[in-house]
Parts: sequence; C-alpha cells; structure tokens
Amino acid sequence: MSLNEREDEDKHTEDKERILMANDRKFNALFDYPDNSIKTSKYSLFNFLPMNLFEQFQRLANAYFLVLLFLQLIPQISSLAWYTTVIPLIVVLSITGVKDAIDDVKRHQSDKQVNNRSVLVLVDGRVEEDKWMNVQVGDIIKLENDHPVTADVLLLSSSEPYGLAYIETADLDGETNLKVKQAISVTSDMEDNLELLSAFNGEIRCEPPNNKLDKFSGILNYLGVNYFLDHDRLLLRGCIIRNTDWCYGLVIYTGPDTKLMQNGGKSTFKRTHIDHLMNVLVVWIFLVLGAMCLLLSIGHGIWESNKGYFFQEFLPWQHYIASSTTSSALVFWSYFIVLNTMVPISLYVSVEIIRLGNSYYINWDRQMFYAPKNTPAQARTTTLNEELGQVKYVFSDKTGTLTENVMIFNKCSINGKTYGYSYDANGQCVPVSLNNKVDFSYNHLADPKFSFYDNTLVEAVKSEDHFVCLFFRCLSLCHTVMSEEKVEGKLVYQAQSPDEGALVTATRNFGFVFCSRTSETITVIEMGETRVYQLLAILDFSNERKRMSVVVRTPEDRVMLFCKGADTILYELLHPSCASLSEVTMDHLDLLGATAIEDKLQIGVPETIVTLSKAKIKVWVLTGDKQETAVNIAYSCRIFKDEMDEVFMVEGTDQETVLQELRTARKKMKPESLLESDPINICLARKPKMPFRVIDEAPNGDYGLVINGYSLAYALEGNMELELLRTACMCKGVICCRMTPLQKTQVVDLVKRYKKVVTLAIGDGANDIGMIKAAHIGVGISGHEGMQAMLNSDFSFCQFRYLQRLLLVHGRWSYNRMCKFLSYFFYKNFAFTLVHFWYAFYNGFSAQTVYDTWFITCYNLVYTSLPVLGLSLFEKDVNETCSLCYPELYEPGQHNLYFNKKEFLKCLVHGIYSSCVLFFVPMGTIFNSERSDGKDISDYQSFSLLVQSTLIWVMTMQIALRTNTWTMISHAFTWGSLGLYFCILLFLCSDGLCLMFPSTFYFLGVTRNNLKQPQMWLCLILSTVLCVIPVIGYNFLKPLLWPINVDKVLERIHFCLKHPLPLPVQAKIKHPGLRRSAYAFSHKQGFGDLITSGKTMKSSAFKTSKRPL
Amino acid sequence: MGVVLLLSAKSTKELEINYTNICANCAQLREDSSNFDKECTCSVPFYLLEKMEGNVYMYYKLYGFHQNLYRYVLSRSNSQLLGKDIWDVKDCSPFQMSHNNTPIIPCGAIANSIFNDTITLSYNLNSSIHIKVPMLKSGLAWLTDKYVKFQNPRTSDLASVFAGSAKPLHWTKPIYELDTDDPGNNGFVNEDFIVWMRTAAFPTFKKLYRRLKRVDYFAEGLPAGNYNFHISYNFPVTMFHGEKSVVLSTLTWIGGGGIFLGLTYTVTGALTLLASFAILTIHLMLKRTKKSFL
Repeated sequence: MSLNEREDEDKHTEDKERILMANDRKFNALFDYPDNSIKTSKYSLFNFLPMNLFEQFQRLANAYFLVLLFLQLIPQISSLAWYTTVIPLIVVLSITGVKDAIDDVKRHQSDKQVNNRSVLVLVDGRVEEDKWMNVQVGDIIKLENDHPVTADVLLLSSSEPYGLAYIETADLDGETNLKVKQAISVTSDMEDNLELLSAFNGEIRCEPPNNKLDKFSGILNYLGVNYFLDHDRLLLRGCIIRNTDWCYGLVIYTGPDTKLMQNGGKSTFKRTHIDHLMNVLVVWIFLVLGAMCLLLSIGHGIWESNKGYFFQEFLPWQHYIASSTTSSALVFWSYFIVLNTMVPISLYVSVEIIRLGNSYYINWDRQMFYAPKNTPAQARTTTLNEELGQVKYVFSDKTGTLTENVMIFNKCSINGKTYGYSYDANGQCVPVSLNNKVDFSYNHLADPKFSFYDNTLVEAVKSEDHFVCLFFRCLSLCHTVMSEEKVEGKLVYQAQSPDEGALVTATRNFGFVFCSRTSETITVIEMGETRVYQLLAILDFSNERKRMSVVVRTPEDRVMLFCKGADTILYELLHPSCASLSEVTMDHLDLLGATAIEDKLQIGVPETIVTLSKAKIKVWVLTGDKQETAVNIAYSCRIFKDEMDEVFMVEGTDQETVLQELRTARKKMKPESLLESDPINICLARKPKMPFRVIDEAPNGDYGLVINGYSLAYALEGNMELELLRTACMCKGVICCRMTPLQKTQVVDLVKRYKKVVTLAIGDGANDIGMIKAAHIGVGISGHEGMQAMLNSDFSFCQFRYLQRLLLVHGRWSYNRMCKFLSYFFYKNFAFTLVHFWYAFYNGFSAQTVYDTWFITCYNLVYTSLPVLGLSLFEKDVNETCSLCYPELYEPGQHNLYFNKKEFLKCLVHGIYSSCVLFFVPMGTIFNSERSDGKDISDYQSFSLLVQSTLIWVMTMQIALRTNTWTMISHAFTWGSLGLYFCILLFLCSDGLCLMFPSTFYFLGVTRNNLKQPQMWLCLILSTVLCVIPVIGYNFLKPLLWPINVDKVLERIHFCLKHPLPLPVQAKIKHPGLRRSAYAFSHKQGFGDLITSGKTMKSSAFKTSKRPL
Repeated sequence: MGVVLLLSAKSTKELEINYTNICANCAQLREDSSNFDKECTCSVPFYLLEKMEGNVYMYYKLYGFHQNLYRYVLSRSNSQLLGKDIWDVKDCSPFQMSHNNTPIIPCGAIANSIFNDTITLSYNLNSSIHIKVPMLKSGLAWLTDKYVKFQNPRTSDLASVFAGSAKPLHWTKPIYELDTDDPGNNGFVNEDFIVWMRTAAFPTFKKLYRRLKRVDYFAEGLPAGNYNFHISYNFPVTMFHGEKSVVLSTLTWIGGGGIFLGLTYTVTGALTLLASFAILTIHLMLKRTKKSFL
C-alpha cells in the first residue's frame, strides 16, 4: 500500500468515527448500529433458490449448459430434445444445492443457539437477564467467570484489584494462556455499584469496526475529561472470562461489527494443479468442439447444395432458409448442441464427490487416530486430496511438530555429579524402565505424572545435601510460573514456556514446592516447611539475554541472586574458579548445576523422514529455534546423516558474505552450475519477466544446508533468491533456523514460485500459519500450542508420523484414483460423442444423433456414473502396506505422470478409435442386412439401439480393465449398471410407456425385436473385443518397452504377492547418540513484568492468594 | 466363428436388378412432378440361373435416399398412427396441412414420401405361359409395429372417420384405400406403409416388399428360368441422383448374405493371434536380455 493510499484510508476512517454514549439507547439509536445478533448463514427460506442458483451459474460449466439450454429452445437450431440438457443440469444443480442447504441449516442452527444465549444487562439500575441478540451498543453488561464475552465491550470494572480481568482467547487466536485486560481507573472505581454504573454517561469516540484483533483506539469523555483507550481495555467477543468473578463492560461493537465476525469467512480458496489442468483441458475441448462443428457445417453446406437441394420434393427447406449457406450456419449451432457431451457436465460434480469420499477415508483412518488425545485426523479442506499424492517439498516446523513439545526434566548435574541415569543394585547403568521409577510418595504435593529414574538424587535431597538443596531452591524461585490451587492440595502451574513448567514441576516433586507468589514474596514449601522469600527483583527472560535472574531475600535475611539461562551465555558469566558458594559477586556467578530437559522427538519421526526421502520428498526444517538445536534435531531425525559429504553453513551477516557462502556451496555440489553455459544461467541472462520454472539440478553427492534467519534476510532479497533456491534445492536436507514467521512464508513462496511443484507445510504454532496458508497444502498438528495452526490448515492430525500415511497412502490413492477417473471420464465422453461425428457423413450432416435422446440424457448420469465413482472411490492399485514399504511408488505423482496433457491426448486418440469401432462395426453389421425372417434391422432405431448397447458394453469392459481391486461394491456397481441399462432400456421401449406418451417415447418394441437377433450380439462382442484388445496390448507392452521406475517396483510387488515371502522389514533406524544439548528456553517473555508491577497480586494477602488465579 | 459366418453367408442366394435406367423413359416422366397422375409401367425380364431354394424374399432397394435426415425422421405423428388422436399433426412439419388447410392423414415427410412403385413378378414357364408368382403381402413388418405401434381408429368404416382430412401430397389414394381387399392390412396397419415408416439408418437401404407364397411351382422356392418384373413406376429417384432396384434373396440363420461380420471376425481373430505371438516374442526377448545383464 502506498503512503498516499494509507493517508486516504486514515482520512476515511476519521470520517466514520464511531460515537456512542453509555446508558443512552436513544442517542445511540441515531447511528443505526446493528444489534448483537449474528448471521453466518447465507440463505433464508425465500432467497435460497434464486441465490443458490445464481451462485451455481457463476461456475463456467453450469453457465455453459444454461446457454446450451437456451440454444436448444430455439426451434431453428434445436437438434436435441430440451430434456437432454435439463435433466442432467437439474440433477447436478440439485446435488450441489442440497449440499449447500445442509451446510446452511447447520449455520442457522448455530446462529440461533448463539443469539439466544442469555446475558446480564444493566437496565434502570437493575441487572436483568436478556438474550444476546437484544444487546445494543452503549449497554452495560455484566460478565461472569467462565462465560463467553457477548460483544466487543469496554472493560469498566471487575472483581479483581486494579480493575483487572483475565480472558482466554482460544477461539480468537488459539492461544490457551490467559491474557490480562485492565479497566481505566476512573471506571474501575465504580466496581459493582449499580447506581454509579447506571449513572455512568461517558461518551466514547472510537474507530469504526475493523478486523484487527490487536488494535483499538478510542477516547472516553467522562465528566469533561478525555481518557485514552487502547486494546488492553477491550474484551473481544469470543473470549472467555477466566479467574474473574464478575466484570462490567460497555458494549462498543455488536454482532457483525465485532472483531470476531469481521475476521471470519475470508479464507483464500486453494485450487489444485489438477483443477487448473482440468480448466485448460475444458478449453481445449471447446476448441476441438468448435473445429468439429465448423467442419460439419461446411460439410452440410456442400451436401445441401449438391443433394439436399434436389431432395426438396420429399423434404422442402424451411421457409427461412434462403440458401445452403444459411442452412449450414444454423447447422453449426445444431452440432454444437449435439456434440455438447464432449464437455462433460457431471465432471465437476463427480470430482467433488470423489474428493469428499477420499477426505472421509482420511477422517476415518484408525491408524491416524491418536488415542491419547482422542483426536482423529481431519481433512478440513476437501478439495485438495489428489495433491497429497504429488508433494515434492515438505516444510516442517520443529518444536511441537518434529518434537512433542512436552518438556521433561530428564537429567541434571549438581556440583559436578550427574543424576538421571538409572542404576541397578550393582551400580550398572540400566535402561529406563518402570521398575526403577522413583517413588515420590513421601511428598503429598508431588505431581503424579512426573517420573524420574535415578534414586540417588532423591536420596541426596533427603539427606539435605547443601548443593542439591540450593540447586532446587534456585529452580523453585527463579521462574515466572503462576500457581493455581483449584482443588485443595492440587497445584496447577501456568507457565509461559513448557520448559519452565517442566523445571518447576520437577522441583516440586523433589520436595521444593512452589506454592504461590505475590508481587513481593514467593512462598515455597521446602521439604514440608513453608518459607516465604522476599522478592527483590526479577529480570525476565528475553531472547537477547537468554537468561533470567531473580534477587531474593531469604527468611534468614540473606540476599541471593539466582540466575538460569542458556549454557553458552551463563558459561561466560561464571566465576573462573567455579567456587561452591552461591554468593553474589560483582561480575561472576557460581555454577550450581545444570539441567537437562528433554523435548522428545515424536514417535516415528526419523522413520517417517527416511521414508519421505525415499519417496523423493525433500524435507526442509524451518524453525525459530537456534542453530545448534536445529542441527542436532536434524541429525537425530535423519534429515542430515553422518555419512553426508558435507553440511554447509550459511551464517554471513552481510550480503556479500551470504552470496559468497551460497556460491561456494554450489560450486562444491555442481561446479558447472556456475558456468555461463548452464541452462539456468542462460535462462537468467535473458531476464524473463515472468517467474519461470527452475529445473532440478543434480549435485555430485549428498549435501546439507544450514542457514540462519539473519543470513536468510539477505538471501531472500530480490536478486539473491535464485541463488538461495538453486543451492538449497541441490541439498538433500535444508535447515533454516532463527526464522520469523514471515520468512517461513517467504521461503515456501519462493519454492512454490520457481519450482512449480507441490509444496506442503506442516506446523503447530501460530508462527506457522503464514507458511501453512502459503503452501499448496497446509497441515496442522493439533498439539500444545493452541488450535490456531490447525484452524488455518487443510489437514490436521496429532503426530508428525501420520504424514507418511497421509501422503504415501491416502495421497497416492487419491491421486491415482483422480487420474484414473479423469482419463476414463474424458475417454468415455469422447467415445460417446464422436460417434455422432462419423454418422454425420451418412445423414447429410443434418445434426441427426446416433442415440435416442433418452440415452443421451441418462448416459453420464445413470448408466456410467456408478462404475466410475466406484472405481475412483474404492480402487487401490497396491495395498497400504506396499505403498508404505515401497515409497518409490510415490514418484509418478510428483512428476504428474498419470494425468497430464499427454495422457489427455492419449484419451482423445483412444476415444476417437473407440468411436470409430463403435460406429463402423454396427454399421457394417446392419448395412444392407435383414433378420432371418426377412424383416428390417437396418432401420435407424435398431442401429441406435445397437450402438448404444455396444457402447455400454465397451465402457463396462474398459472400467473392468482399469480396476485392480475388485470389491463387492465395485462388482455391484459395474455389473449392476450394465444390468440397470438393460432394465431401463426395456422400460423405455415398453408398450405401456410408449402408448402413453407416443411422441416422447417412440422406441416401441425395438429392444425386444433386436436383442433376439444373433447378429446384434455378434456385433456387440466383436466391437467390445476390438475396443479392448489394443488396450490390453498397450498395457502389456508399456512396461516392457517404455518402463518407468514404478513399473519395476510394481512388478516386484506382484511377484511378492504371488510368491508370499515376508515383506522386507524396515530396518529400525538407529538413533545416533545423544548429540543434543541445547538450551531451548521459551522465546516469549514470561510474566516477569506483570509480577513486578504487582498488578496481578493482591499485595496484602497470602490467604487470599489461594483463590483461583 | 468368422469362417462359420462366412460359410453361411455364402449359402444364401441374392439377385439384384437395378431398374432406374432400364425404365429410363418412366424415370424421365417422373422428374416433373406435375405428371404424377400419368401411369407409367415397364417390364424387366431376367434369367435366374440357379433355383432359389426355401423362402424367397423380394425387397426394393433405394440408393441415396436419406431417410435419416434430422427433420425427416421427426416429421411424423406417432399418436396419429396409433389411431389415438388422428387429427394430431403438430410434429409433422412441413407436411401438416394440405393447401386448403385440412390436416393431412397420415401427415409428415416420411409418410408423404412413401415408396409407391408396384412390382409384380411373373415366371415364364415357356414363351407362352406366364405365371404370376404368388406373393404374400403380410408378415413384412415387426409384430410390435403391426399390432401395437400402428393401430386404426376403432371403427368399422375407416372412410368416415378420416372424412375431412387430406391425403398426403404425393399419394394417389387416401390411407383408407391402401388395401381395400383386406381390412387387416388397410389404413395405418398396412404393412407396406409400416415398413416404410420404420426409417432406415443409412441412405442406401432395402426394405421388404413381398414374400414368396410357396405353392404349386414355387413350393420349393423359385425355380431357375425366365422371369419378368412388371413395375408400375411411380417413385421418382433420378431428380436427387438416387437409384432404385429390386432384390430377390434367400436367408439363413444370420440373415442375409452380408459378409462384413464374417470377414471382420476372421481378420480380428487372425490379427489378435499374430499380435499375441509378437508380444510374446518381445516379452521373451526382453526377459533374456535382462537375464544376460544380470
């Protein structure tokens, strides 16, 4: 946005400033503010039909068929009965319509439920219960603990001191930690005095409604004084009041104006590659269609002047036709109508059904169900399935995605002695098992979930070892955790970072229980003895300092400084002698001990990554973490391997160095890529304006790349991004660390733009939202960092290891099914439609159809829809075990081998061949032929019956050929449809129906007369054989003559299935030794400010601090 | 299969005589439609070399007559032909009404263009005795057509029911006079009419005209010898460059003597066999090369 525009916008905003007066409905009514009812539903009972239809006709395919319908209504060019288009169109529209209606009914219900919730409103000095939807701007409402906030309200006063109120914003931004809002003092003084509150007549001027959650500015004018209001005073709709008995608020934005509603419903719609391809192909088909119509209309013109002119004795021209030219112009449109089935009307609907079905498979997959959290995998977007089978790049977050983000106090070293390994009676180190778990029963405040396996530490605590006690004292004091005691004796800690929580919990279990804190004191129960420390100062954690410190006065009146932080940082501060006293010296600290907190890798992560890399999927880790941690994680989850040739580090702090580092790396990997003769360099030299596709380059070995956020900032700048891209894409694994959320998005975007392959981003935190939205597919891990990533994702599940199942099993199946579906679908319509083209040469190009109109109506809708749906819902070329064991099977999807323009052309050629067979074999059979009793079979109706029956047979055989897995359902669908065809045929030709509607159904008796004839069946078999044999031959020859990698694998699989050998067992990947020692403290600032400011604590009371915070 | 089909096709006998040019003077006469009421007959003699055994069928065959044009095919009224609503002519454009605005029965382009030559066959036993070959004019059309699709209005007097209607433009007599001898073959259920109304799929087609009545001399079929076709030439074909002929034919279980199916089956079978051998060879060769590499 340019500066000018921004200014304009600012002016614009000022114009529309919102003015409101508390407790004055009359005044506020002047401004027509909406009431607090919300409406997320799209339609009402009355406007559903017109609005839904309008929306549906905005889709190209539907609009095309509407136009077609109008063309058919023009009698001069109509060549097909109107119902051939109307019936399929109605079916298609109503399927979509019903789906929309169901969705909307659900929205109506939820709206109704929300609008009818009750809220306490202050009316005439009394608090009255009312419905949410009746709340008006300017009302004062009372909110109670654990209740959702009704509208966007200005906090006036609350039960907590200083007018504080705690809210949880999980529904807004997904963060589950509490946030604090504070009322301005002039209103918080009113507390819950109803008289004062009802007399409150402040006037508020504020910005108009917008969707910025963290921004609000306004001015309160009360008793002639102006008070500035910011977003810390505003409780937003969708938040939940916590730890606050009551609070009063002034309603500022209602219903649709609230920030929650203003934020909703504007998600970008992702489209898959296949979607784009489909649109291109539909345009191609249009062109082919146009060309064919032109050809036929020229043919018609010639025929009319040569033959038709002389045939007028029997069939005079219409009065409006002056010459054969006019006639041929009209025939162009007639053929446009006849051949319309080239553009398949049910294509889009079928595609949607297939994707929906495949999404349900993901939702239903028990192996992607995470029992501990009772969470199944979820396909939140149902339109991207087949793209899951084409992923080439995976961008992964680290914390919470690769790792569990559950911090466990694992080991510690106190005064040079290491605790945490478990020993047996003989002093031998034994693996961790449940048997040697430490018993914490001596401590009734212990957290039962915590487990530790080294009894020596407990003994040391019990024996009151000086350093051990001091160590735990430090850990129990130096933190910013808040405690809550919901049930007597059960403490719940609220920590800003999980590692801090882990430390304090561990300390608690060893007998140093942090109880509560006020702004001046910290209460700790040390081995059953309550001690109150005076808190003198807190220096909170920050990303720059990477440590935090507290200064306390002990009950013995000693002043102590405790500090904890990153090993690298603290090491510099340590006293060189490392003396054993915990005293404050001016510039040196003494080392008490070191802790080891483990953030475990999630189960199966290394295996998953190895499998993915076998499937030629490149995994890049984009993390905000620091370099050492990231690299260690990369090694332990096998993104980097010890046997790699080299891992390049890019850590330059200026543009020159970064460029140099990238170039050096590339020179090593592929020296010739720096030469000017390199194809990409040639391409670059031409300076194309459009982003072009950067082809894959093969390096001369296995390499890895580590780049940090600082260098990345330079590398992502305009002219360097290609350098980065080329270097990074040659590497087997790429780690980007210290990244901002924006940089994550930029990296994803970079690859997406230049590589033109499918990218997938996976993450769990709010900082991953950018890349989740930017990538073709966004996957959210529903983990510990709230729901926000999940809410913005397309697919979500609980564990990283499910990714391989999602991609290799579901993705691959979806892709294969979609490709099979598309190629079959196009083929079936070509074979169906092109028969008309051949017939044109025998009927004077008069737009006569080969088939009965009812057959044309039902072909896509009834006769052939079920088998192809069955194929694309139940088809499995190999079973799931095989697709996981042979990740190589995934490759064709990445290169889009199964359906592309070439495959489409094959479909076209195959369709043309089939239509030839379908036309000329029946023609040869019937031409000049007669029944064995001399009666007619060469009539038009018999011919059309013969061709359409043959067509159905051929289509059934084709689908049977393409089906690898025969289930009961596919049998039922395939042969059932064939049976259904003959049933419908008999019905359509039955006496009763034809006698009732003689002018609509006129195929009376054709079925009965023809299906008895041997030559009909002979012709049917012959055509089917002729259509099928080339396909069988091609399928047999293709892997022999033009093999691709997959064919070999498939051959091996089939071999294995035939000769049941044990499937190759995946070798258990050895975890490399414990390489990880890194400080992974939170990057968020803790509660330090809040604690020292004293706002949160009731300074007076140790007693009252027991109340839920 | 193909060989069986070919053999049975061989066993049929067929004789076709194209009389478009043999009756050239009549053809010329018919080119001018104003001469429609002038009679024109011609006689076509021919010699049957071998006798035709079994049932013999007589067809007329038209070349270049497009019974499959889009507008032509639709130009009929099925409800009229059902005898249900004989005044329903709305689908019959452009032959709905006659010049004086009376509805045409039967209406439409198909009915109007009915093949109206009469062909009789006589057998010349010797130079003086000419025997008219007895022919059946029933059993020509599908049973479903004859008894379900085409029905006369329920009445004893067809002429009175059709009063107030016009005969089609090219017809010489009204529908209720098509076969005055046999009420079961008159009106809409006249078999020649029904056969014509079942429109052909291709511009060249033959339609069943008569069946041999196997009595007397002809109990075994048509004996060899001299024959004569007597043709009352009414149907104009030259003006649209068409041709017409008359066909005598015997049939087998597979119908007429068309060799298409037989030929295609044979060729397909042979090709498939050849192709599968070729594929097998390629397969084996590739396997061997693979092994030699290993």
